[in-house]
Amino acid sequence: MGSMLRHIAGHLAQALLLLIGVVVAIFCLLQLIPGDPVQAMVGDMPVPPALRAALEQRFHLNEPFLSRLYGYLVNILHGDLGYSMNYRRPVFDILAERFPRTLLLAGVGYAFGILIGIAIGIHSAVTPHRSVDRAWSSLVLIGYAMPTFWVGQLLVIVFSIQLGWLPTQGMGPMISRASGIDWLLERATYLVLPVATYTILETTRVARFMRASVSETLEQGYIVTARQKGLSRHEIIMGHVVRNSILPVITVMGYSFGTAMGGAVLLETVFSYPGVGSLMVEAVRARDTQVIVGVVILVACSVVFMNIVVDLLYAWFDPRIRVSSAQS
Amino acid sequence: MPAEPGAVLPVPSNRFRTAAPFDLLRRLFRTRFGGIGLVILVAISLLSIFAPWFASSGPADIGSPSLQPPSWQHPFGTDSLGRDVRSVLLFAGRSSLTIGFCAAAMAFLIGGTIGALAGYFRGAFAAVLLRITDLFHTLPAIIIVLFTVSLMGASFWLQVAAVALAIWPIEARIVYGQFITLSEREFVLAARATGLSTPHIIFKEILPNALPTVIVQVALDASTAILIEAGLGFLGLSDPAVPSWGEMLNRGQEFLELAWWMSVFPGMAICVAVLGFNMFADGVTEMFNPRASATAPKLEG
Repeated sequence: MGSMLRHIAGHLAQALLLLIGVVVAIFCLLQLIPGDPVQAMVGDMPVPPALRAALEQRFHLNEPFLSRLYGYLVNILHGDLGYSMNYRRPVFDILAERFPRTLLLAGVGYAFGILIGIAIGIHSAVTPHRSVDRAWSSLVLIGYAMPTFWVGQLLVIVFSIQLGWLPTQGMGPMISRASGIDWLLERATYLVLPVATYTILETTRVARFMRASVSETLEQGYIVTARQKGLSRHEIIMGHVVRNSILPVITVMGYSFGTAMGGAVLLETVFSYPGVGSLMVEAVRARDTQVIVGVVILVACSVVFMNIVVDLLYAWFDPRIRVSSAQS
Repeated sequence: MPAEPGAVLPVPSNRFRTAAPFDLLRRLFRTRFGGIGLVILVAISLLSIFAPWFASSGPADIGSPSLQPPSWQHPFGTDSLGRDVRSVLLFAGRSSLTIGFCAAAMAFLIGGTIGALAGYFRGAFAAVLLRITDLFHTLPAIIIVLFTVSLMGASFWLQVAAVALAIWPIEARIVYGQFITLSEREFVLAARATGLSTPHIIFKEILPNALPTVIVQVALDASTAILIEAGLGFLGLSDPAVPSWGEMLNRGQEFLELAWWMSVFPGMAICVAVLGFNMFADGVTEMFNPRASATAPKLEG
């Protein structure tokens, strides 16, 4: 257990450094904006003198570079991400309201995608029929080439506009009289299309890694041994192949969570879903810099957090990892 | 299957350098997807370059009745401004493909340089470069692009630079991996022992051997760049003066209920272009990695 703790501590320290690096990089980029920094923070709106003085004091604008950077970092560590002139609310509050929605959407789609992707990847790699493998490979290749938001648009055209089965956008009806289970079901119908789009996107990514990983596992010596022991095909696949092939897929999960968060930007716009992604787009359109920076930091935090989770899962699955990292 | 990113492709060096272009092409066409990929890429490039020959009207001609469904006269319909969608699509392909090729080339220059330096010199210097790479790799590409565009504005070439800024870390990782592996190989050690200069070793010994892997990654980068541009255009944040496939989708979103053809065809164009790059990358991988497919010709030098 000691090795596990040390493994966790090492990763947490690295993650913290990475996040500080992201904030410093953002800070430096913000310095590059030509013109008045207070104006840039507020966006395309007039700045009253009182606000200007307050902002200058809060961000230490009249002090040298390093002390400004320090002040910026301290503010962020206190959860002070600034104030949005566009929404007239603190950035932290907006994010706290919207992030759970994005997590719901991306999380459900992500989970479905991983499960279906793993299944397709395994089937594609172990199937004795070349044509089946080729069909899955082609499908995955096409799925991988489709822009996420366009898949969303296609689903809207088919299921909402042509067939009229599902609502096109939003999180729920404007006025709802439903309650209890009905309310939940009503909400769920709004989630079907965005979640389905996420799932398609995630499935193609995972399936492609899983197929490569399973093909590699199949060539290992212990599979040959298992076959010679007389284990059935089913026993070999479930007992040996799946367990050993999932590890490499887990490592890419952290990064692909980042892509899912990136996908949120476009998908939430297609479905007018009020999450963090559509917030980012609204903020870019309104030149609401504080909000943009807030979203960037939030996404960086969640990706780094996901990477830690993935590392821990990995170490838990494969004891060799934590032993070797504790030794180094 | 799309190419496995970062896989070291075993290439006997002299074989690759002396192989006739025609021979390479023939081997590409023997792979599962490589030939189709190349044909797609050449076809869409020609269609865009010679757009005036294939288009029935200019990209800004608004003479036709608006929102017409596909017909013999307008195979892809007309848009809300009364332009022939097929014609706009052909002209828009120019900017979308330019972004794909140029952003990938730029990402290769940035990422390739950083990866090569880190991989060749190692030590603390490499560690710093790799941490910077990680920093950029943490954020999803579209977020980096949106952030950059919001700060710097959205002129066409700034957009290309923003996309390159978002995708170079993968390139750096791949080149780094190649340099780490290759600089331990006997022929590089021999070159060092003979006292050949560092630039000679990097450009004449290591780079040619890393080439297949790098080509695969640049092709994948180009497809990523086209997808990012599509996203940016769709959000209405690309250069408004330059028509692109993403920008067409942005217009289409508004008319999703009235005119599906305004969204379906530009999306298909993006899909085909990305598919072309990915298939090409897949083919090159298979060509130099006999294990990837049993039917591929073996590469004994």
